Amino acid sequence: MVQARIWNKEETLEREQFREIQLKRLKATVERVYNNVPHYKAKFRERGILPGDINTLEDLKKLPFTVKADFRDTYPCGLFSVPKKELVRFHASSGTTGKPTVVGYTRNDMSLWREMVARIVTMAGVTEEDTAQISFGYGLFTGALGLNQGLEEVGAAVIPMSSGNTKKQIMMMQDMETTALISTPSYALHMAEIAKEIGIDPAKDLHLKWGLFGGEGSTEAMRKELNDTWGLFSTENYGMSELMGPGVAGECQALCGMHINEDHFLPEIINPETGEVLGEGEVGELVITTISKEGLPIIRYRTKDITSLSYDKCQCGRTTVRMAKIQGRSDDMLILGGVNVFPSQIEEVLISTKGIGPHYQIKVFKKGYLDKIEVVVELADADFLDSFGKLENLNKLIKNRLKTVLGLDAKVTLVQPRTLERFEGKAKRVIDLRKEEAK
Amino acid sequence: MAIKQLSILIPNEKGALAEVTEAFCDADIDVRAISVSDTTEYGILRTVVDDTERAVKCLEERGIVAKKSDILALNPEDKKGSLTEIFKLLGQNGINIDYVYSFVVRKNEAQYFVLKVDDLAKAETLLEEKGIEVIKNI
Repeated sequence: MVQARIWNKEETLEREQFREIQLKRLKATVERVYNNVPHYKAKFRERGILPGDINTLEDLKKLPFTVKADFRDTYPCGLFSVPKKELVRFHASSGTTGKPTVVGYTRNDMSLWREMVARIVTMAGVTEEDTAQISFGYGLFTGALGLNQGLEEVGAAVIPMSSGNTKKQIMMMQDMETTALISTPSYALHMAEIAKEIGIDPAKDLHLKWGLFGGEGSTEAMRKELNDTWGLFSTENYGMSELMGPGVAGECQALCGMHINEDHFLPEIINPETGEVLGEGEVGELVITTISKEGLPIIRYRTKDITSLSYDKCQCGRTTVRMAKIQGRSDDMLILGGVNVFPSQIEEVLISTKGIGPHYQIKVFKKGYLDKIEVVVELADADFLDSFGKLENLNKLIKNRLKTVLGLDAKVTLVQPRTLERFEGKAKRVIDLRKEEAK
Repeated sequence: MAIKQLSILIPNEKGALAEVTEAFCDADIDVRAISVSDTTEYGILRTVVDDTERAVKCLEERGIVAKKSDILALNPEDKKGSLTEIFKLLGQNGINIDYVYSFVVRKNEAQYFVLKVDDLAKAETLLEEKGIEVIKNI
């Protein structure tokens, strides 16, 4: 039973109307970055392009890609196209090294963001009748506040619960009769486990109707488990800080891919090796150009997420293009409980720590439903063997540094030198046991 | 001339200890004293051998890092309160003891004690003044 509610009639435009709006907005965005962002101006000039060269949507492919490294090279605010006084909010996500990726929003960007998330939560089934509990961590992460704003926009009553403190989460769900849960799929499964432990059947004793899951990928098997355990209807949604945050795309109740809000986020699929633009239905890397943002417009951002696009008719009535479930990444980024982690961030911490060797191994595994990470390093300096105290302090130091950079707790294991494998070719330092376990 | 001790990081795995002792065995190194303590994550093996330099070399060949440190080896009288006397003496003189282990020397059936302290020279002088035997060679 697909709900007919649609937040904004702009989600149902004819293809031609979309193309018209997209071209108009693309042109304005190209002008904006060329005139206000030196980094883009230089990139355009390198390719010998002027804003005037963009006359059709097909000209999009003439434009340079933007990658995560551009954020690092212009850290913190070099890609912004407005002076600081016009910004009203900052957020940040993981960088590939110690510095985060900083993003910013103008007042209009905030309105756009609210609108985008309002569309997504409406697609998922949420209305003003709902009480929505947000169990994403609040803070620099765009997920929590992004959903918070969009849910308020549709009139749902928001409980800004944040993550962790699971028993209290369940108490709130019970007492406030929460009907919509917003979290990562793995944390939702973990919460259900804890609920059962304290004698609560999430499907019978609680009032959940909708599950809006994001921040990490999930499988159809996980969806089924979430639906059965919680007795709710789950959808997934997609976004990233570099583009805005949540609200880029989301599933409607027909569950046939995530509708991209393409009147504001122009999608392409490329071959990650060659950069060539691929056609409808072909699998490749998702590239998005933000065509309505003021503070931080981004041209052809390489998301590194592997998916495909489908333009065929959806029974929900929306005509926006849909992206398939993310099949994987074209880089080595790991997602742990919704937190993006790059091995390069870990490497940087280890290299700058005295007493340990340059070789390391990252093991990612599941403990119950929760993602855990272990970093194995070689002890190079025998002086630490003087006493357990010294050894433990070194261990704690590495742990604390990782926590600062990654924002999560890693288990640190010190081993004898030359224990870890050496690589002559491309090093394979990450062992993701979650994939094994999922099979 | 203090006695040299080796400290070796041991992963919490089966067979990890044997790897070290086997290395010594193959190199004809005699283990005189040994102590292993553990935490949840690792163990540290501490040992006194008859040829420290050769022991370090044979461990290095196997990629095992060992830390050399100077320790005190004592032969206290076998009587009530003799350990208390030693510990008190060091404590009252501001010397901190990191760890202690004991071992038996077969030739004279004496029980020796190994002490790791933060001021070895001072400890040695204090103990000898009190007539406590500090072993120069194991």
